[in-house]
Amino acid sequence: MAHHIEASRNSCALHGALAVVQSIEGAVPVIHSTAGCGVQNYFGVTRLNPGSDPFGGPPVSSSNISEKHVVFGGGSRLREQLKNTVKVVKGDLYAILSGCATEMVGDDVPAMAKEGREQDWPVIYANTPGFRGASHQGYQLAVKAIIEQLPDLGIKGAQGKDAGLVNVWGIVPHQDPFWRGNLEELGRLLEGVGLVPNLLFGPGEGVAAWQRVPEASLNLVVSVWGDQPARLLEERYGTPSLCFDSLPVGAAAGHLLRSLIHLLDLDPERSEAFLVKEERRLHAYLAGLADTYYRAGFQREFALVGESAQVAGLSDFLAGTLGLSPRTLVITDNPPDYVRENLVTQLAGQVPGFPTEVAFTEDRGEIADLVLAAKPGLVLGSSLEAGVADRLGVPFLQVSFPVADRVLLSRGYAGYRGAATLLEDLGSAILSHFHAAAT
Amino acid sequence: MSILKAKAPRSREKRLDTMNAWQGSATAVAAELAGEATVQRIRTFSQSSQDDLLYALQLLAGIRNSVTVVHAPRGCAAAGLYFQAREPSGRLIVTNLDERDTIMGADLKLRRAVTALHHRYHPEVVFIVSSPVVAINNDDIQSVVEELHEELELAIVPVYVTGFASRNAVTGYDATLHALLKYLGGPRKAREANNRVNLLAVAEHRPDLSEAVRLLSALGVELNVLPDGAGAGTFRDATSACFSIPLDQDTEDYLGVSLRDEYEVPYIEAPRPVGLGATGRWLAAVGAALGLEEKARFLHEQESIAARVELAGFSLQGVRVYLGLATATAFGVLELVQEFGGEVVGITVSHLDQLHRRRLEELSVRHPDLQIHVADGQPFEEVSILKRLTPDLYLGDSAHLGQLGRLGGAVVSLEDAPILGYRGLVSLAGRISLALRNPSFGAALARTSPPYHDAWYRRSPNWHIKQEVK
Repeated sequence: MAHHIEASRNSCALHGALAVVQSIEGAVPVIHSTAGCGVQNYFGVTRLNPGSDPFGGPPVSSSNISEKHVVFGGGSRLREQLKNTVKVVKGDLYAILSGCATEMVGDDVPAMAKEGREQDWPVIYANTPGFRGASHQGYQLAVKAIIEQLPDLGIKGAQGKDAGLVNVWGIVPHQDPFWRGNLEELGRLLEGVGLVPNLLFGPGEGVAAWQRVPEASLNLVVSVWGDQPARLLEERYGTPSLCFDSLPVGAAAGHLLRSLIHLLDLDPERSEAFLVKEERRLHAYLAGLADTYYRAGFQREFALVGESAQVAGLSDFLAGTLGLSPRTLVITDNPPDYVRENLVTQLAGQVPGFPTEVAFTEDRGEIADLVLAAKPGLVLGSSLEAGVADRLGVPFLQVSFPVADRVLLSRGYAGYRGAATLLEDLGSAILSHFHAAAT
Repeated sequence: MSILKAKAPRSREKRLDTMNAWQGSATAVAAELAGEATVQRIRTFSQSSQDDLLYALQLLAGIRNSVTVVHAPRGCAAAGLYFQAREPSGRLIVTNLDERDTIMGADLKLRRAVTALHHRYHPEVVFIVSSPVVAINNDDIQSVVEELHEELELAIVPVYVTGFASRNAVTGYDATLHALLKYLGGPRKAREANNRVNLLAVAEHRPDLSEAVRLLSALGVELNVLPDGAGAGTFRDATSACFSIPLDQDTEDYLGVSLRDEYEVPYIEAPRPVGLGATGRWLAAVGAALGLEEKARFLHEQESIAARVELAGFSLQGVRVYLGLATATAFGVLELVQEFGGEVVGITVSHLDQLHRRRLEELSVRHPDLQIHVADGQPFEEVSILKRLTPDLYLGDSAHLGQLGRLGGAVVSLEDAPILGYRGLVSLAGRISLALRNPSFGAALARTSPPYHDAWYRRSPNWHIKQEVK
């Protein structure tokens, strides 16, 4: 039985699905639920992610069902809403997303989508009531719906494999506040070794990108939430996958790319030249930071609160390259059991001889207790942890959702550039704290 | 019978003929509301909009030392994160109903949550907020409230909202205020008024509230501010106040009227203090109630002079303005714009009902053709109206200003900007001047692809507003 949660930061399945649809250029969500569902998402997700207003801006098409529809069913209301959405709102793809009320009433959402398709409208649907889970489940449900239903729209199917094309999975838009920047950097790295990234979300990524999904020769997965789409594509199209449950930050990006080069049999000389250049630049940045690093006492025990892939990726860089000690790592995205053990093994022993506590919870009160008890010298987390860092009197950096006080557009922490960005952000937080303490 | 005996108030539609879909002239809407029965209209295409659950969360976020338990699947508490980030007064919990709970019910889960939070945080009061899932399932919140109230000796207040029973989100304020007074107001008693004044404030910005408090304190009034920033005891205290004064009659009407009808606390009618004239009338209403007419008049004169100095010749002469605001604010800002010589070419308001009848009748005399659009979160209609009217300036409080900014006019958000009293006026004038001076951001927005088909703009903006077929 799911437990109650204080200040849940994982929203719901409907909101996760909305984030997916809203992050694809030309895709239009049609919510079939009560009026407030879309606004809950706007306040509770978009507003706490300043700079993430979806294409065209809020609010979204929504059937806004009333008491009558709860009692007698809302199918006809959805029919009317869908028809008028196609007439009013420009789109290449319309995605009906059902909410709790209409799922409980039992509206036949697939039948309505089918009716729409019979009118030659590009309509798909996903059953995404909030009671089915958090935004991560919503991401999976919406991605699955698109992969499975796009071929039904009469749009051309797979035209064989494209040897260089790589689908990137596992970055949940909006729930990862750095989703655009992280995807852009992964795309840049893939291009650097001669591949063609299929990023699927963000500016310039439209329905056409999704039509190419079956043609890809590989799925690159950078969080556990990408496992399911990758498996689905393996089953349907025989696409192999390379799966990581960690965001590659700094040196880990090299490891990821070398695995890719090996797996896809890429030109090793060209790839290696690219990698060496990237590594050299990061090392030069590190050298440039050295004086400040020693003077301001960067070496600290830290607490990090965030999603599984982010915690794994960031702490790997902070412990493995920057010489910090991970004291307490709190994983908030409820990853499935099959990866938990692996995560704990991987994260608990990053610094030999130093015990790292790894906890799984999304409850604000529990997280506060964990971080306070750990007495770290640095806190990285969401804006919900600002108060805790303040009580501890230590530097604080907002890195995970919600990020109420940061504007994030193209910033990311993935890859080599992301590692440098993380150094800038974290270094600035430590330095301003250091200077404030000195005065 | 006491209205507080009911589990929840009747919806705004039923109580006050409230409508949320309309477009037409001031004359037509005044006639509609004056008629025998107001015809409810619905939309055949709609965009997401606020609901009673969201308004309940927003109001409860301002109550001190409280825990709010949203009895719902996890997404129904999402917006609470945002309200908390702005006004971190209490704790927010969601019972996180899953698929099984929607079938089997989840009373036990609610009971466990309330008990655990009581032991963890020792709040003065726990609110239980219902939701669409709970309303459809008819989960028994009431027996949990009664049993745990005894068992834990804790004030527990159930707020019954549904997300679908009313089309007007403002019903959520009514439902919450009803519950607050019902459970925290205490029993009726012989009237023994103290000299405190209830300042009614629902979801006001902090600077706006400070301005109202500053002005009333200057009159020497002792205040009991509620529900914003109130604690559980404030509601009991409110029942002995000498009278109540509203900042926004739309949102506070239910509280003011209930305090009057249940506890004999007089409710002073006063306009929203927006702009010089209305702020003066608001102060005069308080002055009259306290026998401090002279003092109130003097304060208004002094403050007006000081404000005019700061405004330094601010003028809206020749500026065509469109307003998209919560209703009481819209009427207030309309007067403010006119005070400074501007022309209001149309307004979009969140709702209209019997509380606005007099105001609409006045408008229909002075500006019979003024276009009035009633909508909460329907930018597709607003964009269409604005394309026709091409105002120079848009003043609004919605989340969709980005869609309007791209049309080329200056845009000022009043959602988080102070507007009340003299200081609010000076602050707003400053923002308006900045917006009118440099429209480059809107021009940049216009370079992105617009969300609606051109064909939509060829329809009349009220194309999708139809009379409801019962």
